[in-house]
Amino acid sequence: MNRRRFLIGTLGAGAVTLGAPWLASAGAATDDELAFANFGLSSEFLLKDFYAKALEAKLATGVVRGDLRRGRSASAQHAKALTGLLTGAGETPAAEEDFAFVWPEKTFATLSSATTTGLVILRGVLGAYQSAAATVSEPSYRVLYTSLAASIAQQIGALAAASGKAGSESFPAALDLETASAALENYLG
Amino acid sequence: MVRRLALSILAAVLLATSAFAATARTQAEPLTIYAAASLTDVFRSLDPGQRYSFAGSNTLETQIKNGAPADIFASAAPLNTQRLFKAGLVDKPVTFTANRLTLIVPRSNPADIHSVYDLRRKPVKLVIAGPAVPVGGYTRTVLRKMGLTSVLSKVVSQETDVRAVTGKVALGQADAGFVYVTDARAVSDQVTAIRIPAWAQPRVRYEIAVVSKSTKKAAAQAWIKTLLSAKGQAALKSFGFLPLPKAPS
Repeated sequence: MNRRRFLIGTLGAGAVTLGAPWLASAGAATDDELAFANFGLSSEFLLKDFYAKALEAKLATGVVRGDLRRGRSASAQHAKALTGLLTGAGETPAAEEDFAFVWPEKTFATLSSATTTGLVILRGVLGAYQSAAATVSEPSYRVLYTSLAASIAQQIGALAAASGKAGSESFPAALDLETASAALENYLG
Repeated sequence: MVRRLALSILAAVLLATSAFAATARTQAEPLTIYAAASLTDVFRSLDPGQRYSFAGSNTLETQIKNGAPADIFASAAPLNTQRLFKAGLVDKPVTFTANRLTLIVPRSNPADIHSVYDLRRKPVKLVIAGPAVPVGGYTRTVLRKMGLTSVLSKVVSQETDVRAVTGKVALGQADAGFVYVTDARAVSDQVTAIRIPAWAQPRVRYEIAVVSKSTKKAAAQAWIKTLLSAKGQAALKSFGFLPLPKAPS
């Protein structure tokens, strides 16, 4: 075993130990799996921007503000995980500065308008992650996408509660990439 | 709407043209500018007084490597300018604009294509640029990002530059093709542009550099400075190019 192989092996094992098993198998990614990762990464940047703007607008205090902060932190962590997956697969991942997100006027005027927009985005992202979890062949990727979907579902619950809207659905719809992409197109720029 | 767009392009070009004309007054001879095919319309409009050679950036890179007498090289991908810079053949390149990709279909749309995903679902004659041409590389990036590399099996022709791709689709010799948004705009009466999602867009960056062997370096640097000025950038924008990319945060 040469030094490079040893280092790659060690890094892979480290990622597994640290709870990021998808990094160890990134090289095995198929086209479709990478497509979900590319879409997911852009969506997480969008969500991070959404939460940052909602916090900046001081729309909420207390528990709801805490939820917005946790949402922003989750988006940043998700983006980091997906960046790792794409980099490991030899791809050049998108960066935040590649996007000029578009927020309709008055999106951040009230908590209600912000949560309405946030829920649209989160539902699109959740649908894509569900599809990814159901279709990817690599088990470690399924772990990641399932975990991402669970986190997004929690965020939907939190935003729905903040806005007084019904957040729970028995069977949220899985969306193919084309449909999920269309749902977010107006915001991604 | 079309009239307003045409007027705003004209206003931006007039402003920039006057800036380039001021630069040109200090030159005895025109500069020889090698530029990516996608810059044809904008460069010719901005400064008709220079000598241009437009082609795929990879072709121009090879010509400069072989000693072609260029003063300036403007590439549609950093790869081409950076390779020449490393070889000491051009001065340090700078990024001067950005672009996006789009899918175009003829106005008659014989293959009934309304989304990039339709390329996978329907029989289609697809035309793209070769892999070494910047727009060809960017096209492959889009397809890989979207999980659509299987549509490469529907490619009927690989062209040497973006203008050739645009021409084939505009003339109805192909059902669809990937080009820059700026090229689609130039033939908007002949083609329909289909949006590529932002998450699948490649990072299209244009770089420009003075050729090391140029005998008109001062004039070449002044020309690039004008292109980077607010007037130059406004003119590029009026042709649909994107502003200088933000620095990474």
